[in-house]
Amino acid sequence: MDLFGLLHLGARSLQAQRAGVEVAGHNLANVNNPAYARQRVTLQTSTTINSTLGPQGSGVEAVAIERLRNTLVDRQIENELGMGSFLEAQRNALEQAQASLGEVLDLSGSGTQSGLSKNLNRFFTALQGASASPTSLTERHLVLSAAEELATHLNITGDRLQALDKSLNESLSNEVDRANELLEGIATLNSRIGHVELSGNGTANDLRDLRQSRLEELAKLVKIDVTERPNGHLSLAIGGQNLLSETAQLDALEVYTADDGQPRIRTRDGQTPLDLTGGSLQGIIEVRDGPLARLRNQIDTLASTLASEINAIHQTGFGLDGSTGAALFTGTDARSLRVNAELQEDPAKLQLSGSTGSAGNNQIAVRLAQLAEKKLPELGNQSLSSRYNSTVSELGQALASVTSKSDDQRAVERMLRIHRDSISGVSLDEEMSDLMKFQKAYEASARLITTVDEMLDTVLSLKR
Amino acid sequence: MRVSSRSFYHQFSDQVRTLSNRQNRLQSQAASGQRIQTAEEDPAAMRRILDLQAEATRVQQHQKNIDGLKEKVSVSYDALRGLKTISDRVTELAVLADGTKSPDDLKLYATEIGQLLEQATTLVNSRHKGEYLFAGTRSDQAPFQIQRNAEGRITNVTYQGNTDAPAVEVAEDMTVSVLVPGENPGGAGSRGLVSDPRSGADLFRHLIRFQNNLLSGDVNAIITQDRPALAKDEENIIFQMSTNAATQSRLDSAKNIATSRVAALGNLISREGNADLAETLVQLNQTQTAYQAALQGGARVMQLSLLNYLR
Repeated sequence: MDLFGLLHLGARSLQAQRAGVEVAGHNLANVNNPAYARQRVTLQTSTTINSTLGPQGSGVEAVAIERLRNTLVDRQIENELGMGSFLEAQRNALEQAQASLGEVLDLSGSGTQSGLSKNLNRFFTALQGASASPTSLTERHLVLSAAEELATHLNITGDRLQALDKSLNESLSNEVDRANELLEGIATLNSRIGHVELSGNGTANDLRDLRQSRLEELAKLVKIDVTERPNGHLSLAIGGQNLLSETAQLDALEVYTADDGQPRIRTRDGQTPLDLTGGSLQGIIEVRDGPLARLRNQIDTLASTLASEINAIHQTGFGLDGSTGAALFTGTDARSLRVNAELQEDPAKLQLSGSTGSAGNNQIAVRLAQLAEKKLPELGNQSLSSRYNSTVSELGQALASVTSKSDDQRAVERMLRIHRDSISGVSLDEEMSDLMKFQKAYEASARLITTVDEMLDTVLSLKR
Repeated sequence: MRVSSRSFYHQFSDQVRTLSNRQNRLQSQAASGQRIQTAEEDPAAMRRILDLQAEATRVQQHQKNIDGLKEKVSVSYDALRGLKTISDRVTELAVLADGTKSPDDLKLYATEIGQLLEQATTLVNSRHKGEYLFAGTRSDQAPFQIQRNAEGRITNVTYQGNTDAPAVEVAEDMTVSVLVPGENPGGAGSRGLVSDPRSGADLFRHLIRFQNNLLSGDVNAIITQDRPALAKDEENIIFQMSTNAATQSRLDSAKNIATSRVAALGNLISREGNADLAETLVQLNQTQTAYQAALQGGARVMQLSLLNYLR
């Protein structure tokens, strides 16, 4: 190799080492970017030249920049993220439902400080009290006040649960919009990756990272099935429907009202209802139609049974003024339950007596108070308070179960992320080492050029 | 395994978050003294506590019912004692009114009987918290109405109440009826306070007839009719007093059972829901130690990197 060839060798080496420094710098800059996979410059010896001495090396060249990523782990993370979001969506909704009931134990006093349980107990103990003093207006006031508190609490609980239902449906709509944005974004990225890679200028590492990040965000919303083509394009299906084929977006998602009146998900153009199996969208649907629907139904049944059972007895009684036939409660569900305004205005009209003209008769008051313990077929042969306590316990059980699964799922996700970070994550120490390594090599290459330059000077000085 | 810079921070923050959550839960348990506050923490225990609390509230209401009934029984007893005193004096006067007494003496006795009648009428119209005690369930109106002649003498006392006796729950499936009807001509149910065919008592009619016999000086009728009749009235009052005492005793017994039940339920609720403070504090200490160790260890590792050794 002549001196000029050697000069070229030095220049190529400088370029290769500089590429190494650039990649290390890129890695360092993205150390906190969760979507980023570390990159490495691939160095390769330059073409061997045949010389009189035999095949002779001509230095080094940077041939590619590769990213370190394991596709299998990426697919696993997508799946696990979907399951995690599915559980997390249920957990959030159930936590809100638990808060809506407001059943918080306070054992420091005589009972719960909040919650429907306290109101139910107060109502029936007030009736007990009135049965002991049926002519007492004070006791009658207490009954009506307890009934009012009970009805108000049921109204508030019903309203809260309905608001939660509405909020879940709004989330469904927002998340479908976001999923469509992501689908569109992934299709665009597919196209851009294709353009970059088809030109033969290597792999579009950063675009692929970005696409993976979008896929993972989408996987959190809905379970996706991804197929990667050798050319780098992705096909994507949701609920068995192909929505993305390489660069073409075939369809999108939309919320529609199903036959049962509940919003669900289908494809926008094909209008095919989707059978989702994971992701926060399905989590929301399952919790809304499962535990929360049961909860709302149980609270409504409790309210309607309370009203019908109390009224059936109360209407046969007589007030202090001889009035009869009035209902104590009006309304048919938790949100519409009210105390009869006429009775509230005049507690003497509360019909606690079993016969007219017998103010001290407490037969109706006793029967009303005994309802506290009466097992009712409408409530699965449980008493009102027992049914409500079961409802609280069932909700707690559902939440505890989902929380436990969600915690387990987080552990799985954490382990997979650690595994992926061990492959793709940037290490400052490693990058600093690489930086020094390439810097030193760069310095050495520069020294080679200086040496060749001096050699050329020596050669040129031979003529003088 | 290779550890990237990011995975170290993630693991560190995960560990600190887990320990922080655990600390928060234990601190809350230690501060409230409760093992559970919401159903999520122990659904089965929450269910049991709510059921136990409902039962405790019912028993506490039974206690209040018992207290209210005891007041009524006590006030009724005062009235009965007054009636017994009247009956004693009436019996004494019936014995005194024999053939040795002059018509003026007998008239004086008749005047006293008139006063005793007034007094007895007041007693049987006794009220407690606005409720007439001897009216059956017509407790909003005075049960005994007096009719007088032109001279203002009581000629008749009529009963306006009924024979119903309201029963009040004092324990699960246990009711007590403390109110006694003033009269019970039917002879079924609670015995009438002043009139009941089973005992032959009819206090007011017997007193009025006695008064009339005293005024007419019919000593023979007093001896043959009034004395046995008044004896039956006295027996009836004694029967009512003993029934009242038995009711008081029954209420005391029910109150004792309810008090024990409330205490037992309190213990059960405490066992289900209260935290074992010693255990909780030990766990809190352990968690705090782990938390401090995690923070110290994390801070040390974070301080070190290759950057510290490069120019």
